[in-house]
Amino acid sequence: MNRIVVVGSGVSGAHATLTLLERGHDVELWDVGQEEPAFPMQGATFHELKDRLADPIAYFLGADLQALVPPASPELLRYPPSRGFLTSSDDSLWNFTSDSFFAYGSFAKGGLANGWGANALAFDDNDLAEWPVSFSEMEAAYKTVYKRIPVSGPIHDDLTPHLRGVYPSQTPVRLSASDQRLLKTYQRRKWSLEKLGVKIGYARLAVVTDPAQADACDYSGRCLWGCPKGSIYNPRLSTLKECETHRGFCYVAGRLVLALRSSGNKIDGIRYLDVATREIREEACDVVFLAAGALQSGAIFLRTLKAARAEAAPQTEGLMDTTVVRIPFVALPSIGQPPDARSFQFNRLIAGIVGESTQWPRYLHAELLHLTSLIYHPLIERMPFDTRTSTKLFFALKPAIGAATLFFPDRITPGNHQRVVDHGGISAKVELHYRKSEDKERFIRHSVARMRSALYRLGCIPRGIVRSPPGAGIHYAGTVPMGNGPKRCDATGRSNLFSNLYIADGAAFPSLPSKSITMSLAAHATRVARMAEL
Amino acid sequence: MSELLFPLWQIDAQEYQAVCAYLRLTPDARLYEHLSRYLAEAPCRFPHPVGFSRHLARPRLTGFRIGRLDPMTKLFLPGHPLRHVLNGVIALHECDPRGYRELAAAPRGWRAPIAALGWALGFVANLAVSLPWLALQWVGYAAGTAFRSADGLAGKRALITGVSRGLGRDLMLGCLERGAEVIGIVRNRESREALQAQLPAQARATLLVADLAIPGALAAALQEAQIPADSVAIAILSAGIKHDGKSVLSLPELRETFQVNLYAAVELADWLCGSASGLDVTSAAKANRDRSEAPTAAPVAATSSGDATHDRALSSTTRIVLVSSMGRWHGMHHSGGYNASKAALSIWGESLDMELRQRGNRRFTVTVVEPGIFASRMTRQTPLTRMLFVSRKKVAIRILAGALAGRSAIRPPRWFALLTWAICLIGRNNRYRIFASANPRTDR
Repeated sequence: MNRIVVVGSGVSGAHATLTLLERGHDVELWDVGQEEPAFPMQGATFHELKDRLADPIAYFLGADLQALVPPASPELLRYPPSRGFLTSSDDSLWNFTSDSFFAYGSFAKGGLANGWGANALAFDDNDLAEWPVSFSEMEAAYKTVYKRIPVSGPIHDDLTPHLRGVYPSQTPVRLSASDQRLLKTYQRRKWSLEKLGVKIGYARLAVVTDPAQADACDYSGRCLWGCPKGSIYNPRLSTLKECETHRGFCYVAGRLVLALRSSGNKIDGIRYLDVATREIREEACDVVFLAAGALQSGAIFLRTLKAARAEAAPQTEGLMDTTVVRIPFVALPSIGQPPDARSFQFNRLIAGIVGESTQWPRYLHAELLHLTSLIYHPLIERMPFDTRTSTKLFFALKPAIGAATLFFPDRITPGNHQRVVDHGGISAKVELHYRKSEDKERFIRHSVARMRSALYRLGCIPRGIVRSPPGAGIHYAGTVPMGNGPKRCDATGRSNLFSNLYIADGAAFPSLPSKSITMSLAAHATRVARMAEL
Repeated sequence: MSELLFPLWQIDAQEYQAVCAYLRLTPDARLYEHLSRYLAEAPCRFPHPVGFSRHLARPRLTGFRIGRLDPMTKLFLPGHPLRHVLNGVIALHECDPRGYRELAAAPRGWRAPIAALGWALGFVANLAVSLPWLALQWVGYAAGTAFRSADGLAGKRALITGVSRGLGRDLMLGCLERGAEVIGIVRNRESREALQAQLPAQARATLLVADLAIPGALAAALQEAQIPADSVAIAILSAGIKHDGKSVLSLPELRETFQVNLYAAVELADWLCGSASGLDVTSAAKANRDRSEAPTAAPVAATSSGDATHDRALSSTTRIVLVSSMGRWHGMHHSGGYNASKAALSIWGESLDMELRQRGNRRFTVTVVEPGIFASRMTRQTPLTRMLFVSRKKVAIRILAGALAGRSAIRPPRWFALLTWAICLIGRNNRYRIFASANPRTDR
C-alpha cells in the first residue's frame, strides 16, 4: 500500500485527509501541531470575564502587556498571548523574511482556522474565470464540504443570486439591535443602494446556531478570543476528530516539513525538522499532499525545486493575498441605544458590491460589523479628540460604531512571488516579495467610494480608512498555481513536475477572488483528494 | 515599583492619581504596577522624544498639565510619552471590572447626542486654552535653545563603568532613556545579577564584569567581549573608589584608589585611542576571570544588531568623559588618597586632551566632570550635606548634555564649585578647620 502523507492540519489538510480516508486509503497527517490552551469559563461573556477571571489583565493583554496596542500604531487589535495559534517572524520556526509583506502563519493543530472569521462562501463561475476549473466541476466538492461544515444563513435574501454554491443548514446568527436597524434602513432605501450595486444580507457563517445542538452559539461575544463552545467551525474540533474515527488515520505532530526529496519526476522522501530535537530528518513516502498553507507549501516546493532542478530560478510563479480595507462608521439611528448584553462578536451582516458581468470579480465581498465586544483602547486612541473626550464619546456612541470591511481580490502579478535565499540548504529561508499594482489601487479607490456612498445612504457617517499592510489579509494563495509550466500544477492539483505531488491548499489557486477563501480551500482539497491517482 | 528608572516615560503614584482623576477613573495600585512596568520598557520599544516633545515631557504631570498636554500631544506630538501613559491607563482600566464599568458608563437615549455635542464643545473650549498654553511653552523652549546641547545618543553605543549603582547607574539609565545602547561595566557577578533584575527585559544593555582594581581588567573584558573601540560614541569612566577614614599613608588603599580612579581611565583611553598599552592583556583577563568567577559578558536584551559582539556603525566622534570630583581642588585627611587620585585624574584628563589636540586628532573629545556634593554612597548623610545635595539624576543629565556638547569641564552644581574655590583661597589652616569639623573621623 502507498504511504500517503498530507502536510498540514488546517482546513485544506483536514479535508484532504478525510476525503482520502473515505476513499479507503491509510493517511499520515504531518503537522507541527502546537496545541492551544483551553478557553476559560464557558458561558461567560467577554465583559463578564473581567469580573470572573483571577487576572483579567493577563488574559486580555498578556502578562507583559504584549497585546497593548501603542499609540500611533496601525493595528486595531492584537491577539493576546493566550491565543497562541498565530505566529510570525517572532517564532524561531518561522522561515520567511520580507520587508514588504507582513505575513502570518500558524503551527497550531487546525492551522489558521483556529482564528478565522467564519464567513463561508463559495466561488462561482465569475470568481473562477481564471481557473482551469468551472463551478460545475467544483460543485460536488462544495456540497460535500457544506455537509461536513454546518453553515448558518438565510434560505434566500438579496445576496442569494450572487452567492451560488452556498448551502446553509442552520438559521442565521442573531443580529444585534444595531444590525437590525441597519437592515431595516437597507430595506427602506434598497432602490437607492441598488444604483450603487450594493446589496446587504445576513452573513453566511460556519457557526452552529441550532439551540438543540450542544455546540450551539451562546452569544458570549468571545469569537476572537476563541469560542469556548466550539460553535465556530474548527478543523481541529470536527474534521480531524472525524478523521480519528478511521482506522487508517495517523496524526504525526512535531514535524515541520522543509522540503521533499525527489528522484526523476517522483517524490520519494520528505525532509523535515523534528521540532523537539531540532534535528533535520528524512523519511520515505509514496504520495504527498501539500496542505501547509500557501506560504509554507510554496516554500517546501521551492526548496524541493532548487534541489531537483538547479537550473530553475528558485522563485514561485506567484504570491497573492487579499487586501483588506476597513471603513469605520457611526450609524446615526443607533446613537444612544443600549448595547446588547450577548452577541456574536464577528460580523452578522455582509454586503456585496456587484459590478458588471464582464468585470472580475463581479462580486466584491464586504462585511458589516457593529461593535459589541472588543478591547477598545486602540479605537479610542484613533479618535480625533483628546483621550478624555474620545473615551466619553466612544462609549456613548459604541452601539452605533461599526466598520465595513472590504476584501479585495488578487491576481498573479509579475514581481509578487516567493524566493528561496541562496544559503541555508534545505532549511533556507524564503523571501516574500510583494508590491501594489496601480490597477488594483484604482479598483480599491473606486470600491471604497461606492461603499462610503452606500453608508451615507444607510444613515451612517463613514470616517477615514484603515488599510492593512500587504500580507495582513492572511488569505495567501497562488504560490504553486494551476496552469502550464514546471512550477505549476494541473487542474486536479497535481504538480506538473512531480507526478506524485499534489497541491491541496490555496497555493494552487491561480487567482484569488474577493469572497472568503476557507470553504473553497476545503472544497479544493476535497476535489484534489478525490481525483488523485493513487 | 518604588523607583522610576526613566522619569521621562514613567509616572509616579501621584501623577497616576492625577491621570485617573482627569479620566474620571478610580486609581488602582495593581493597575499602577502594570503601568509602571509597561512604561519602564517604553524607552526600549518606542522612539525617544526629542526637542520640544522632550521639553514638554520633563515637568511633573499635574491635572492642569494633563488637560493641556492631552489634546496638544494628540494633535501635534503623537509620539509624546503622555500618549503612552493615557493609552496604557485606558487599556489597563478597560480590562479591569471596575475600570470598565467606569469607562463604559454613558448616557443613553436622547441624552447621548446632547452629551456628545457638549463634549465636542468642551473639546473646542479646551483647544482655546491649550493652544495659547502650548505657544507659551514653545516660546520658553525656543528661548532656551541656545543653551541646550544636541540630544544625539539615539542608536549610538555608550560605554560606562561603575553602572551597578550611584552616578554610573543614573548615567546608564540616562543613556538608555535617550535610545543609546549601553555597554555597562560592573565589578562582579553579584552586581551584574542585581542590576539585570532591576533593568527592563528589553533594555539595550550589555553588562560586562571587570574589576577595575586589577590592572588591565577593563581592556581585557572589552577585548574578550569583542567590542570594537571605534563603535563607542561616548565612554564614561564613572567607577570610583574611596576608602573613607583611611589614612593617606595607607599604601594598599592608596594604590587601589589610584588604580580604580586614575589608571583605569588611562587603560580605557588607551583602548579607545588604540595606542599600545604594553599591558599583558591575556594574564589580566585571566586574573579578571579568576576574581569574578563568571562569564564576563551578559546581554540584558538582544540589541538591534543581535548582541554586543556584533559590529555596529562606526562612530565618527568619541566623547571621553572622566568623572573626577570637586575634591580634586583641595586635600582631605583620612580619605585614603581619594582627593589626590581625583586631582591626578583631572590633570591627566587635561593632559590627554592636549596630546590629542597636538596630534591633530579631532575624533576624541575629553570632558572632565567635577561634580560637587550629591547623594551617593560615598557621601555621608548629615544635616548639612542633605541641605546641599543635588539630585543625582540631575547631575547625570547635565553630564550627558555637557559631554555631548563637547565641553571640556563640567562642575555641577556651579555654586558648589564657587564655594570650593572660595575655600581654596582662604588658606590651608582655615580649610583644615572647616574640613576637620565636617569630617572628624580618624583611622578605622
